[in-house]
Amino acid sequence: MEKLVFWEVEYVLFMTDFKKQQLSYTSQKALNWYMVFEVFLKGTLFFPCEPDRGLVRVHELTPEKAGQLIWVRARIHTSRAKGKQCFLVLRQQQFNVQALVAVGERASKQMVKFAANINKESIVDVEAVVKKVEQTIESCSQQDVELHIERIFVVSQAEPRLPLQLEDCVRPEGEGDEVRMRARALGPRTTTSQAIFRLQSRVCQLFRDTLTNKGFVEIQTPKIISAASEGGANVFTVSYFKTSAYLAQSPQLYKQMCICADFDKVFCVGPVFRAEDSNTHRHLTEFVGLDIELAFNYHYHEVIESITDTMVQIFKGLRDKFQTEIQTVGKQYPSEPFKFLEPTLRLEYSEGVAMLREAGVEMGDEEDLSTPNEKLLGRLVKEKYDTDFYVLDKYPLAVRPFYTMPDPNDKKYSNSYDMFMRGEEILSGAQRIHDAQLLTERAMHHNIDLEKIKSYIDSFRYGAPPHGGGGIGLERVCMLYLGLHNVRQTSMFPRDPKRLTP
Amino acid sequence: MMALRELTQGDKKVPVLHSNNGPALVGLVTIAAHLAQEAKRPELLGGSAEHKALVQQWLEYRLTKVDGCHKDDIKTILKDLNSYLEDKVYLAGNQFTLADTLMYYGIHHIIVDLAIQEKEKHMNVTRWFDHVQHYTGVRHHLPPVVVLRNRVYTSGHH
Repeated sequence: MEKLVFWEVEYVLFMTDFKKQQLSYTSQKALNWYMVFEVFLKGTLFFPCEPDRGLVRVHELTPEKAGQLIWVRARIHTSRAKGKQCFLVLRQQQFNVQALVAVGERASKQMVKFAANINKESIVDVEAVVKKVEQTIESCSQQDVELHIERIFVVSQAEPRLPLQLEDCVRPEGEGDEVRMRARALGPRTTTSQAIFRLQSRVCQLFRDTLTNKGFVEIQTPKIISAASEGGANVFTVSYFKTSAYLAQSPQLYKQMCICADFDKVFCVGPVFRAEDSNTHRHLTEFVGLDIELAFNYHYHEVIESITDTMVQIFKGLRDKFQTEIQTVGKQYPSEPFKFLEPTLRLEYSEGVAMLREAGVEMGDEEDLSTPNEKLLGRLVKEKYDTDFYVLDKYPLAVRPFYTMPDPNDKKYSNSYDMFMRGEEILSGAQRIHDAQLLTERAMHHNIDLEKIKSYIDSFRYGAPPHGGGGIGLERVCMLYLGLHNVRQTSMFPRDPKRLTP
Repeated sequence: MMALRELTQGDKKVPVLHSNNGPALVGLVTIAAHLAQEAKRPELLGGSAEHKALVQQWLEYRLTKVDGCHKDDIKTILKDLNSYLEDKVYLAGNQFTLADTLMYYGIHHIIVDLAIQEKEKHMNVTRWFDHVQHYTGVRHHLPPVVVLRNRVYTSGHH
């Protein structure tokens, strides 16, 4: 290994064997132009020039910069050598740009060969002149410019054999899905994944911001709990020292305790664990729950309005500021743009049943909606009202959990509601029973062991305000907003009955 | 005086019409055609020679392709009918004939079970079916099939 010392900058540079045969040691200038160097000593990376050199982001490469000599750090997305030239596509998160190394004043034949041989996905530093192009480059995000490279360095080399080809990752849905899932380290690099998860991050942020502005307090609830919150069936058990405990299926109980503790309006963002052996396109065993609970003044519709307003703010925030990401996802997974109404459409359950019956579906007044009927109703609502987001209010009491407040005007129904996006359920919510006596009655009616929920009922014995709420799943909301078809696409590291890694 | 009975031929059951004047008539199409004549409604069997032949063609289709068909054949039947009915109001010619009635009875059990998405996929069959089932005296006791006025599934839907 050769050692070169540049006193001006005080570092040592090592050459790897791979590059040895390609370098002419006689010329320091040539040495400078293309090198592979390794991280060494205290793990810091040293560069053969000023450390405060500015790096331009790929998405900033526009015709305004034409003629400028700039540095860019990006990944080699593709490379193609053609005689005296090598075409590269450099990629940085969602953006990519075409670059060219051509034999000439600044580049030798060896340099062109070197550039062409850099493994795909390697991170490179490139000094280049920005050139305006006459013909739009359709395949890149930066369509009006290309880079003419004068110097190229490999910062971090990728192995020559990748577990999958990234071009395959951006092909429309199909057989590639399973491989994509497994190579999770690479998958999120694709432009589409970058766009999806940036959008998801924004959803979380909009949720927090909107609620905080409405005076909500964010709370953290425990995930290791002593009793299953939604019924014993779909809950994970963990060993807890000498006994066992459960992983929370929802923050329901704790949200309500906070309301009883006079926090008035609370929300929480955290993992939710459901041990449901469902292998569907929209179920995960672990997902991020965005939950809301609030006390209301006169009518539980105040709760519905609060939730729908939050959802609308999220939709607007995405629509107004994240069009780039939405379009990027749309290139690989085309879909109709998400439509919603203001104020949000709210139909009563009985109206929904009537619409379904009109379309030839036979169902009882108090029957729950099956998934196909939910989807069909979504289609009918879309056709009639032109919205992908609506609320179905006043569900039949018989199909709701025991803590749902019954409708005071009609015993068959309840003060509960579901919300749908593109015909799929995203939220199930209700006014909760805040009276310990009524709660006990309803629990007995559902044949629930009162001993198991004693502490839950007790929390309502010391004056609880009337309240209600609901919870949404972050992954499902993102999936439906973007019109994707599998919730695993919006979960960075999805968990389902068959998947525990990465 | 006429009496309608059932006769077993091999593994199939066929209707037989007994009447006082004349021999017994066997077979759905035979009986239906005879009754059309008796009721002085010859137009139900077609006008010109070509028209009559076309009516017969569809009656034969009903007997050979539709009756006793397998589940896998249903798709083919719907596809055939759908492409045929793209530019036609009635199955045979420009008027209501026995072909329409018997085909309606023949595929009623298929159409009644179709999901809305399927009905929209075979739009022409659905349109023709809705038209026929509204004719007075045709539907009788058969349950009406609901047909929506507007498309609910747009082309790009999953």
